[in-house]
Amino acid sequence: MKLTHLTFLLLGLGTAAHAQQQPGTPAATVIAVPPLTSPDSGSKGNQMLATGWDATQLIVSDLRQTPEVMPLTPNRDDYYSYPEVTAPTFSKWRSTGAKALLTGFVQGRSDGRLTVGCYVYDLDKGRELARKGFVVSPSDWRRAAHKCSGLAYQALAGAPGVFDTRIAYVAENGVGDGRTRRIAIMDSDGYNHRYLTNGSAMVVTPRLSPKAAQVAYVSFATGDPSVRVLDIGSGQERPLVPNNAISFAPRYSPDGSRIVFSMMQGPNSDIYVVGSGGGMPQRLTTSPGVDTDPSFSPDGSRIVFESDRGGSQQLYIMNADGSAERRMSFGGGWYASPVWSPDGEWIAFTRRGQDGRRIGIVKPDGTGERILTTGPGDEGPTWGASSREILFQRVGPGGRTGLYRVGLDGSQPRQITIPQDGSDPDWSGVMD
Amino acid sequence: MRKTLLFAALALAAGSASAQLPFLSRRGPVPQPTVQGIDALRADFAAQSGGTTVYFGAETVGLAAPARTVLAAQAAWLRRHPEVVVRVEGYGDSGDTRDHALAVGARRAEEARGYLVLLGVPAAQLSTTSWGKERPGLGRSVTVLVRAS
Repeated sequence: MKLTHLTFLLLGLGTAAHAQQQPGTPAATVIAVPPLTSPDSGSKGNQMLATGWDATQLIVSDLRQTPEVMPLTPNRDDYYSYPEVTAPTFSKWRSTGAKALLTGFVQGRSDGRLTVGCYVYDLDKGRELARKGFVVSPSDWRRAAHKCSGLAYQALAGAPGVFDTRIAYVAENGVGDGRTRRIAIMDSDGYNHRYLTNGSAMVVTPRLSPKAAQVAYVSFATGDPSVRVLDIGSGQERPLVPNNAISFAPRYSPDGSRIVFSMMQGPNSDIYVVGSGGGMPQRLTTSPGVDTDPSFSPDGSRIVFESDRGGSQQLYIMNADGSAERRMSFGGGWYASPVWSPDGEWIAFTRRGQDGRRIGIVKPDGTGERILTTGPGDEGPTWGASSREILFQRVGPGGRTGLYRVGLDGSQPRQITIPQDGSDPDWSGVMD
Repeated sequence: MRKTLLFAALALAAGSASAQLPFLSRRGPVPQPTVQGIDALRADFAAQSGGTTVYFGAETVGLAAPARTVLAAQAAWLRRHPEVVVRVEGYGDSGDTRDHALAVGARRAEEARGYLVLLGVPAAQLSTTSWGKERPGLGRSVTVLVRAS
């Protein structure tokens, strides 16, 4: 469900979020986000209100980063009672110029955990658009706030938000052959950053399972690059395939049940699929040359991949059983590392030409190609859950690597903050 | 750097000692050593073969004439040293995307391995791997030693 976008209201507000809007793109929906309230009283109530205020600020910070939703700056004096969470005074919030309202509460439970409830309203129509409650431990209040942000974003922008997602990438330290690389994972806002490998072996291309419970990545620990699967919770790890063939380019199916990857047999790189819990790999391509970088469609029925069978790297689509292969990229240059968007509408890719590597998108039928970045050292696109943002790797001057976010709205890529250099980002779906 | 490296790294067969021998003179037929240090073997291999590295053109996996010359010399040396196992390590192009570079490196390694086998080196003496574009600027002198099983 979407609200009507009102451009004229935004002009007077002049926030940073609005300044990033490009001409011709729809303006953001303004949402009022007064501080979350609490049904609790006394010192516990004060505690809950304090957490609610922290959560409110995080929700505003989340939504401010989107081009589609613009939160008003919250005011601590905009207190409302618990019954008003579900019965807000619409006229009051309408007068702020907002078209939508987010209310909510934080309640302490007898087991020590928190219930966080969030409600999103259409102010013009005076009705509720969405509601959801989350039970979290007090230390996980950030996740509950991210869930509220996602609820508002879904209701107003019509897509899942990227707020409660994780990013895995390769953390790089040092120079030359002494450069160490570790698999790192963090919340999409940079919190809870940690390393999953210790740097003793070279690693590349971490790929998260849809809910970020596992990560498949390529390790050079045995001397030959091969895919390993790490359970993030338990730390247990195993090789994806039980032989010592060179294997790489893993990616989970959208339901997490399968992993597609490349494996060398002699000089030939083909695409295989295997259950994410193990089993016998099934070969999907047989052409001579390099077939690699497979990525499932969101319904799991098709796979896009790159192949140089025609003489140069191009994008191909086949059914998930390997049948009905057909080429889908015909532009100039070489096309590589395709990744299907979560909404199925786009395929992101790296285009390689005389002027370097850039990130672009194209419809699965081969039309509508757009290049989103200027390069020259960009590669490895990965989609945000909203299907409206892409994270990628950029190699800058001096070989420094960094992670960048770019929207489909024509805005400039912006670097995301990580503790050191980083490459090969992978963005998870929305967490449970 | 459009050129691409392919390293042949040496390893001693089981039971070899690590003691080094004086550098070997190479004027006449060479008596096969029974025990030789790994560093001396590597130096000898490089000196006799004209190098441990062969080069490919950008984006190609085929062997050019200079590469074949070096590989032929390497094959001759390896036939004289059946106790030595070699790991052929392929490298992709630095401007390539990560996974394609990995595959191209493996293809180049296979191409070189196939040529060595064609020239009579027993396949059991050879293994291959790829570094893709993961070690940019790695010098030509670098060798990786692996222990023969």
